[in-house]
Amino acid sequence: MTAHDMKHAGSDSARLEAVGGRLSRVDGPAKITGAARYAFEQQLEGLTHAVLVGTTIAAGKVTGIDTRAAETAPGVLAVLTPDTIMELNSASDWFGRQPSEETYCPLVREVTFSGQHIAAVVAETLEQAVAAAALVKVGYDETPAIVDLSDGSDGIPVDAMTKEWGDAEAAFAEAPVRVCASYNTPREFQAAMEPHGLIARWEGDELTIWEPSQWLDGMARTYAEWFGVPFENVRLVSPYIGGGFGSKALALAHSAVAAAAAKMLGRPVKLVLNRPQNFTSYGGRAATRQTVAIGADKAGRIQSIVHRGVNETAVDGMWVEPLGSVTSIMYATPNFSSKQNVVRVNTVVPGAKRAPGENPSAFGIECAIDELAYELGIDPLEMRLINYAEQDPHAKKAWSTRQLREAFAAGAEAFGWARRSREPRSMRDGHQLIGWGVAAGTYPVRRAYGEAVVKLLADGSVEVESSSIDMGQGTYTILAQTAAETLGVPVEKVSVRLGDSHFARAGVTGGSRLAGVMTGAVYKAAGQALDELIGLALSDPRSPFHGLQANTLQVKGGRIAAPRGDGPEFSIAELMSTLGREKIEAKGDTVPASFTPEQRYNNYTTIAMALPHTEGEHSRHSWCAHFVEVRVDEDFGTVRVSRVVSALDSGRLYNPKLAESQWKGGIVMGIGQALLEEGIVDRRHGRIVNGNLADYMLPTNADIPDIQTISVGIPDPHSSALGGKGVGELGIVGVAPAIANAVFHATGKRVRDLPITLEKLI
Amino acid sequence: MTSQTIIDPPEDGHFRNGQASNGSAPSPTTLSIHLTINGRDHALDIEPRVTLLDALRERLHLTGTKKGCDHGQCGACTVHVDGERVLACLTLAAQVEGRSITTIEGLADEDGTLHAVQAAFLEQDAFQCGYCTPGQIMSAVACIREGHAGSDEEIREYMAGNLCRCGAYPHIVAAVRQAAEGLRS
Amino acid sequence: MRDFSYLRVDSVEAARNAAALPGAMLLAGGTTLIDLAKCGVAEPATVIDISYIEGLNAIDVTADRAVIGALAKMSHVADNAEVKSHFPAVSEALWQAASAQLRNMATIGGNLMQRTRCPYFRDPQNFPACNKREPGSGCSAIGGVTRGHAVLGTSEACIATYPGDLAIALVAFDAEVDLGERKLKVEDFFLAPGATAEREHDIRPGEVITAIEIPGSAAARRSTYLKVRDRQSYEFAAASAAVGLELEGDGRTIRDIRVAVGGVATKPWRAREVEDALKGKPLDEATVRKASELAMESAVDHGANHYKIALAPRVIARAILQLGETA
Repeated sequence: MTAHDMKHAGSDSARLEAVGGRLSRVDGPAKITGAARYAFEQQLEGLTHAVLVGTTIAAGKVTGIDTRAAETAPGVLAVLTPDTIMELNSASDWFGRQPSEETYCPLVREVTFSGQHIAAVVAETLEQAVAAAALVKVGYDETPAIVDLSDGSDGIPVDAMTKEWGDAEAAFAEAPVRVCASYNTPREFQAAMEPHGLIARWEGDELTIWEPSQWLDGMARTYAEWFGVPFENVRLVSPYIGGGFGSKALALAHSAVAAAAAKMLGRPVKLVLNRPQNFTSYGGRAATRQTVAIGADKAGRIQSIVHRGVNETAVDGMWVEPLGSVTSIMYATPNFSSKQNVVRVNTVVPGAKRAPGENPSAFGIECAIDELAYELGIDPLEMRLINYAEQDPHAKKAWSTRQLREAFAAGAEAFGWARRSREPRSMRDGHQLIGWGVAAGTYPVRRAYGEAVVKLLADGSVEVESSSIDMGQGTYTILAQTAAETLGVPVEKVSVRLGDSHFARAGVTGGSRLAGVMTGAVYKAAGQALDELIGLALSDPRSPFHGLQANTLQVKGGRIAAPRGDGPEFSIAELMSTLGREKIEAKGDTVPASFTPEQRYNNYTTIAMALPHTEGEHSRHSWCAHFVEVRVDEDFGTVRVSRVVSALDSGRLYNPKLAESQWKGGIVMGIGQALLEEGIVDRRHGRIVNGNLADYMLPTNADIPDIQTISVGIPDPHSSALGGKGVGELGIVGVAPAIANAVFHATGKRVRDLPITLEKLI
Repeated sequence: MTSQTIIDPPEDGHFRNGQASNGSAPSPTTLSIHLTINGRDHALDIEPRVTLLDALRERLHLTGTKKGCDHGQCGACTVHVDGERVLACLTLAAQVEGRSITTIEGLADEDGTLHAVQAAFLEQDAFQCGYCTPGQIMSAVACIREGHAGSDEEIREYMAGNLCRCGAYPHIVAAVRQAAEGLRS
Repeated sequence: MRDFSYLRVDSVEAARNAAALPGAMLLAGGTTLIDLAKCGVAEPATVIDISYIEGLNAIDVTADRAVIGALAKMSHVADNAEVKSHFPAVSEALWQAASAQLRNMATIGGNLMQRTRCPYFRDPQNFPACNKREPGSGCSAIGGVTRGHAVLGTSEACIATYPGDLAIALVAFDAEVDLGERKLKVEDFFLAPGATAEREHDIRPGEVITAIEIPGSAAARRSTYLKVRDRQSYEFAAASAAVGLELEGDGRTIRDIRVAVGGVATKPWRAREVEDALKGKPLDEATVRKASELAMESAVDHGANHYKIALAPRVIARAILQLGETA
């Protein structure tokens, strides 16, 4: 199902195919021909369709649900409400912590946000289900809602977020040059083009779920716990994912409704959220508010940073968006204090969106340092170099690798930063004010243990299997490259099978960890398979290499021979045939040998086992510098990004072609964040009124200029087996402040509230 | 009242032109229609409210055409009707009976040879997750045919109706430019 | 979406008869009707498919007059060489609207029937109060999120913005809409909400738009449509202006000028105050900017849309001054 035809894969050049080569996407042909069947596009016999009904108030109680009209509507098979849906067990959270409640009902009686699922209609066709869902009548007893950050108190302190050294407040008070300002980011949404949804099918006690997923094993665990069946009885299938950006890592309430409906009806159920429901069924990035105070000496050297942050969370759930994460490591400072609170509001629990924490954190510190640079009359790039952190200022450890100075240099050179005129409003083209801005970004290297299966088959082909996924980052491709290079076979001989929880297990795809984890696991598994093949070739009496007195053999281009090439040479298929082997299969993992089965299970089904990025001697991060040109219409206040040059350090790139795409994708999302994206809440109703793709504006093609990316990374042996660091999250971090800084340079106006829309500039 | 030419709801299972005699509205019912998709005839029994998009995805299992927003706000469902790019989510299936529909599945040659736009998308890495990609490609083919791929700026404007959340836009522009140049020469 | 009957008609006469059926709604391009049916706003009992009527998609343009059939697609009109030459503002308004796909679907007649994008109007499930949908039920927008709402032509019943682009150009150049028995100025075809927000058009049961007609003029030949919005493309206007200009022989005195604004009013809005203030005056920046302010004299904001009062005159002024720079 997920094996890909390689005939369009591009080049036959070995260099292209090897790790680090610019091989075209191996799953590309399936995607460009429409053959790629995404999770909930599977065609099943007897499929039924479920549609959810959401609350229209943000807080209160449901007093009654009138389902009579819906139940008698054409084609309706069932109407589920809190009273009629089967009871589920509560499931543990993503740390594996046991729930406090025993049971779980994914349809609510107590309303904590607008759009919460309250009922579901299952019908023979989608049209019938949609029409019947509109007939469900709900009565409420409404109570006042806390709408957003401005409503709440100062919130609840999150002590675990506190980072302090020196005496930051005193040092700030004494500093000769000081800046202090507040920076706000709104509720933002992942808005993947593929909506959330799933197909659930029960066969006895076995549940199959076809669902776009960033974490098959974690979600399978949740389903298993909800329904009280063994983990092995749940199969998650997710061959392609139409974008996740953090939103598709968890089994959500709507997932539970679909699986419960399928069990109750004894028929497969398909439930796909409509676009507005996508804005309320999983939380976007929490709205944030930060105050950044920087004190410096007259030469621009930072003496102190005092940082206070707040993010919104839900009434009945906790999300902490770590706002001090970049603040605490980007610049050297002898005194530092960062504290964070959360404020409960009536919203769906906010969630992970590309570079959670680092993204808004960078918006605060990277704007603030720009303000400091203007305060001192120092070039903003120079300002950053003056305060360059030679080691991790928080962990007080050496960087594993930090090519940020190189990024500043390469980016500035390509952008032409030296030609920038310092003063705001000093560059223009007709009615357009031109501004150049810079900002840096970073993201920690998240590491985990992984496993993979590599099979050498009788025909000389290779299969790689893993329950990890490809949502566009290029997992299919880089694992094919890794296996091909390790085994010495042409890449078209390798087929990579992902997205099925019955394959070798994998942890979450998030935090830019998957490529490092999985290339390491495949490298290991492929190495084991190769060792076994060579071992057999040397030791098996049937082998033509038997008795050659060789210590080892070499495989190149799918052919096996002595390293000096002075003996016989056979294809792997010929050798396998001679050996009488159908396949050689190796399961390789990077899990410590001491791990118990339970630890292994938790390694893949929770995030509790992730390795700290500051473990041991080093602090591990990827880094980047963005250089941006904006054009602001002096009359209209419209901002257009006209040029971007970004230099990025993601360590070694496994496939630069695909890494560049991810970087650029992050930059594009950052442009949207800076200029367009904002979940707008009607304060009277506590409801997002622009939960659709016309009013929650994503950038279009016309909003995006050509983007130049420059790789300045070097292999980082402390970060991953093959030397790579994170790619996917990095690109977005620092884009919004670079744009805000460019807007200041263009206009002389400092906009500290995202997005920078035209009314803020006219 | 004057008679009107209408298409009656079928009583005999066939959808046809007819004369309504009394001017009263027929009640909703199932239509039997034929759609010509990628050169093949498909018979369907559907309610009038079924969109072309849901007919393709849920009835005909042609899932290459994607549903992103279902309201004409994203372009993921772009198909060609009589050679022009349109949105399948805002098109009733019944409305296009008699017209020629092309979806992403019908773009490559029968022998699997990719259309120039498909090949360019692969070469330029003009997609990541792939979900908006069929719509992008159908849109790009039409964009070039319309003569709206003359410059990068024009490509950006005339491809703006296809959102891509992975942010492949710069590569999409490169792919459309490359395919347009290839098709011109 | 509620189920409905589907009738395909092949003549205007049949369309008129069918349109008079209870609960009947005409389907041309479908970009408004199907969208709103999915929102639960439009609930047709019968959908009358007029898209197969022959002869209604002609685009007939001379220097004196453009006659555009109601079923002509927006994209075809936008790309028509004669339209570009004699009525550039019409072409520009069209190609800057929606997306290429939607313009291939939507028709000129249907475009005039486009409904507002007010988020409260479009969401009956969550916001039952809407005088446009349900007369007397109230207006959910007033007091709510109003960033996109109108500042001109509003009433206590409704502040929804007319979202289209084409009609802005049409009212600037005195276009008429052909309803068969009657012809109306496009400006009169659209109704401001007043106390009857549900009535958006002067169209009677059984009437079908068959064509629009635009008289040619020197101002129409030297015209432009300027659209300002958050996003570069695929978005409704924050403010827009359709402007036509005719200068005296001296090349600087304004003989005739047409100004209409979009994105800021409850209907396509002709800014005659601006025109009157500029006729006979020299075309210079200060004069034009000052006169453009007059378009907003009667403007009333509802908070978040206040910026439109500042923005719209700047858009008008830029459009006029840009035209002045073209020979």
